[in-house]
Amino acid sequence: MKPGRGALSGSPEAEIFGALRRGVGVALVLLLWELLARATVGSYIIAAPSEITRHMLGHADLLGRALATTLGSAARGFLWGNLAGALLALAAVLMPRGERLLSTLALLVFCLPLVATGPILRVLYGPGSGPQVTLAAMAVYYTTFLPVLVGLRAAPQGWFDLVRSYGRGPVTVLREVRLPAALPYLVAGLQIAAPAAFLGAMVGEFTGAERGLGVLTVRALRALDLPATWSIAVIAAGVSMLAFAAVGALGRRLDLAPPEVLLAPPVARGRRPWANLAEAGLATAVTLLLWKGSMELFGLPRFFAKRPEDVWGYLVAAPGADAHRARLLGALGETLAMAVPGYLAGLLLGAGLAMALTLRPRLSGAVIPLSIALRSIPIVATAPLVVWALGREATGTIAVVALMIFFPTLIACQHGLARTPRAVLDLFAVYAASPLRRLLDAQLPAMLPALFASARMAIPAAILAVTTAEWLATGRGIGALMATVASTSDYGMLWSAIALIGLAAVLAHALVAALERRVLARTSPEQLAR
Amino acid sequence: MTFLTPTRRLFLGGALSTAGAALFAPPRARAQDAVALQLSWLHSVQFGGSYIAQDKGYWRDAGLEVSLLPGGPNAPVEPPVVAGTALVGISAADYTAAAVNQGAPFRIIGVAMQKNPFAIASLPANPVNSPADLVGKKLGMALANTPVLEALCTVNGVDIDQIEVVPTQYDAAPLVQGQVDCLLCWATDLPVAMEIQGVESVTMLLADHGYAVHSQTYIATEDSLANRRDQLVALMRGEVMGWQDYHADPEEAAALTVDMFPDAGLDLATQKLQAERQVPLMFSELTETEGFGWFTDETVAANVETLRLLGKPVSSDLWDRSILEEVHG
Repeated sequence: MKPGRGALSGSPEAEIFGALRRGVGVALVLLLWELLARATVGSYIIAAPSEITRHMLGHADLLGRALATTLGSAARGFLWGNLAGALLALAAVLMPRGERLLSTLALLVFCLPLVATGPILRVLYGPGSGPQVTLAAMAVYYTTFLPVLVGLRAAPQGWFDLVRSYGRGPVTVLREVRLPAALPYLVAGLQIAAPAAFLGAMVGEFTGAERGLGVLTVRALRALDLPATWSIAVIAAGVSMLAFAAVGALGRRLDLAPPEVLLAPPVARGRRPWANLAEAGLATAVTLLLWKGSMELFGLPRFFAKRPEDVWGYLVAAPGADAHRARLLGALGETLAMAVPGYLAGLLLGAGLAMALTLRPRLSGAVIPLSIALRSIPIVATAPLVVWALGREATGTIAVVALMIFFPTLIACQHGLARTPRAVLDLFAVYAASPLRRLLDAQLPAMLPALFASARMAIPAAILAVTTAEWLATGRGIGALMATVASTSDYGMLWSAIALIGLAAVLAHALVAALERRVLARTSPEQLAR
Repeated sequence: MTFLTPTRRLFLGGALSTAGAALFAPPRARAQDAVALQLSWLHSVQFGGSYIAQDKGYWRDAGLEVSLLPGGPNAPVEPPVVAGTALVGISAADYTAAAVNQGAPFRIIGVAMQKNPFAIASLPANPVNSPADLVGKKLGMALANTPVLEALCTVNGVDIDQIEVVPTQYDAAPLVQGQVDCLLCWATDLPVAMEIQGVESVTMLLADHGYAVHSQTYIATEDSLANRRDQLVALMRGEVMGWQDYHADPEEAAALTVDMFPDAGLDLATQKLQAERQVPLMFSELTETEGFGWFTDETVAANVETLRLLGKPVSSDLWDRSILEEVHG
C-alpha cells in the first residue's frame, strides 16, 4: 500500500507501543459510545456496547445460524459477481468496439432497483437462496468491472510494442502485459465488493427469505429492539471488515509493485458525431431487445414485468400519459436536486480523504473501518440514525448519498495513489520534495484514472442511495414514487420510473466519460488507447 | 482430508437408500399435490392458523402438500400468485383492488381479518382517541398508506390538510423519540412492540371509525378458481380448521410459531401478545355463526364503498364465496 518508500516498520518496542495506543483508542471510543447511548436511552436511537454484548451472548445460536446463512449467500454472490465483472472487463478490452455497449448494459442492469428485481427473482427462483445470491452478485459486478477495465489498460505502450515486435499476438499481450497490470485493480475491486456482497445478500433476504441476518434486521427494527438491531449491524460491519482485510492481505502477499512510468502516445482527438449517434442507437436497440427478450424467455407475466412497449404506452401513447409523465418528471426533478449535490460531495470526500490518508497514513486505522461499517450495514438500519442526526430535510438525504459513495471512491483512489510509478516517486525523493508537492504533482495525476472509475461507479450508487433515503425518510422524489406504486401494483409506473432512471444514469455516465477523456488525454493517455 | 474420499460412494448409497425408502414406503391414500401459500409478511403468529394446519396435518390428510412462503419488505404477494408460483396469496382487499384495477385476474375467496387492523397509535400524554383528535397532529406513516388516511378523513369529515404527515419507516421509534405525535400502523404489531419494550400506548382502530376494508384476505386467480377448485377447497379447509384451533388456544399457536421457526428471531412474549390482540379482529359473531373466513353481501358492500373512497373502485364480483361455501357446506 505504501510503495516506493523504504521500510518504515519500527523496532519491537515501537510495535508494542503502537498496539497499546490502538488499544487505548478503541477503549476510549467504546466508553464514549456507552456514555452517549446511556444519555439518549429514552429516544431509542443508540444501543450501548454493553447491551449489544449482552444481546449477542444471549442469542449467540440464533445470530450464528443467521450469519452462516447470509455469509453463504454473500460468498457465492461475491464469487459469481466478481467473475462476471472481471469477464466483462476482459471482453471489453478484447473487443474495443463493443466496450461502450458493454459498459452501458452493465450500468443499466446495475441500476435496476430492488422493488422491481425482488419479486421477479423470487418468482424465477422460488423459495431458497437464489435471489439473495443473485442480488449479492449484482451488488458487486459493476464495481469490479470498472477498476479491472482500468487495470487491463494500465500498461505502458512500450510493452505492447515489445510483444508485437516479437511477433506475438493478443493472447500473449493479455497474459504477459494486461493481466499482470490488472491484478492490483482487481484487488481494489474485490475489496470494494466484500462489504457490498454482504449487504446485497442481506437486502436480498427482504424478498421473502426464511432466515438470515436480513430477516432478523427487519424483525428487530419493527420490534423496536435496539440491542438486536445494533448487534446485527456490528456483525455485518465486523464480517465486512474481516473480508476487506483478508482481500487486502492477499493483495499484499502478491507483492504488487507499482508500475514503471506509463508512457503512451497521445490519442487522436474526438470522434465523428455520427459514430457516437450510431453507437447510442445500437445500445438502445440492444437494451430494448434484451429487456423484452429476457422477459419473454422466462415467461414473466405482463402484470408485473412490463415490456418496453408497455412503458411506451404508459408514458406516451395511452390516455392519461400526460399525467403519468408529469408525475414521473416531477419526481425525477426532486430526486436530482438531492442526488447531484450528494454525488459531488461523496466523490470529493472520498478522493480528499484518500489524499489526506497518504499524507497522514496513521489516520487510516480509524477511517477505513468506519467507512467499511457505513458501507456494509443496510441503509434501512442506518437511515434512522442519519434521520435522527440530520433530519428529514435535504441535509439528511444528501448526507446519505455522500456516505454511500465515499467508501468505494476512497478505496479506489487509495489504490490509484499507490499506482504512482516508482521512478517518479524516486525523482521527487531525490529532490527532497515535500509530501504535499509529491501528492499534487506525482500521486494526484496517477490517481485520476481511479477517480474517474469511481465517478462512474458512484452514479448508480448515488441513485440507489437517494431512492432509498426518499423511500424511508423524505417521502419525496422517484424513490418514494417507486415504493408507493409497487405497493399498489402500479407496475406501469414502476417500469417507467426504472426506464427513466436508466436513461438518466446513462446520460450522467456519458457526461463523466466525456470529462474523463478530456482530462485523461493529458494525464493518462494509455487509458484511452484503443 | 480422508473423510472426503468416500463421498461418491456415500452419495450413491444415500441416493439408493432414499430411492428404496420411496419404493417400499407404504402407499399413501392419495398422491400429494404440492401447492404454495404466499404469506404477506415474515413468519409470525400473524399466520398462526396456517402453522397449526401444517403441524396437525390438516392439509396432508386432504392430499395437499402446502409450502408456506414467507413475505418481506420487498416481497409483494401479487406477483407470485399471478405467475402461478403460489396457488393462494394472503393480501388485503385494498391491495387486491389496486392489483385488479391494474389488470390482475384475482378473486377474494376468504377473509381472515373481519376488522381491518390499521390503527392510529399515540402516547397517553397526547392521545388520539377519535379521528377529530388528528387535527393539528404530526402523523408518522409510510406514504404508500396515504389513501388509507384520506379515506378515514373523508368518512369522518376531518380536513386532511390539518394533519401534518411525516413519512416514516415502519417502526415505532419516531413516536417514542417525539418526532411525531402518532403513527398509522397495525394494531397488532407496533403497539405490541412498544408494550413489550415497556412503552404504554393508545390505539384507535380505524375499523371502529368507518374504515371497512377486509384484511388478510385469501386471493386466487380466476384460472385457479376454474381449474384447481379441489386444491383451493382443500387448502381453505385446512386454513379454517387451523384457525378454529387457533381461536381455541391462541397461546398455543404462539408457542407453535416460535417452535416452528427457530431462525426467525421470534420472541414468545411478543408472539403471545400479538396472538391475543388479533383474535377480536379475526373472530366475530359472523364467524361464530357462519365459520372462519366468511363474508356477507353486507360486509362486501361496505368494503366496496370504502374502496371507492380509497380511489380503487371495484364491483362486489371481486369476492367469490363458492370455495368457502364448499368448505363450510
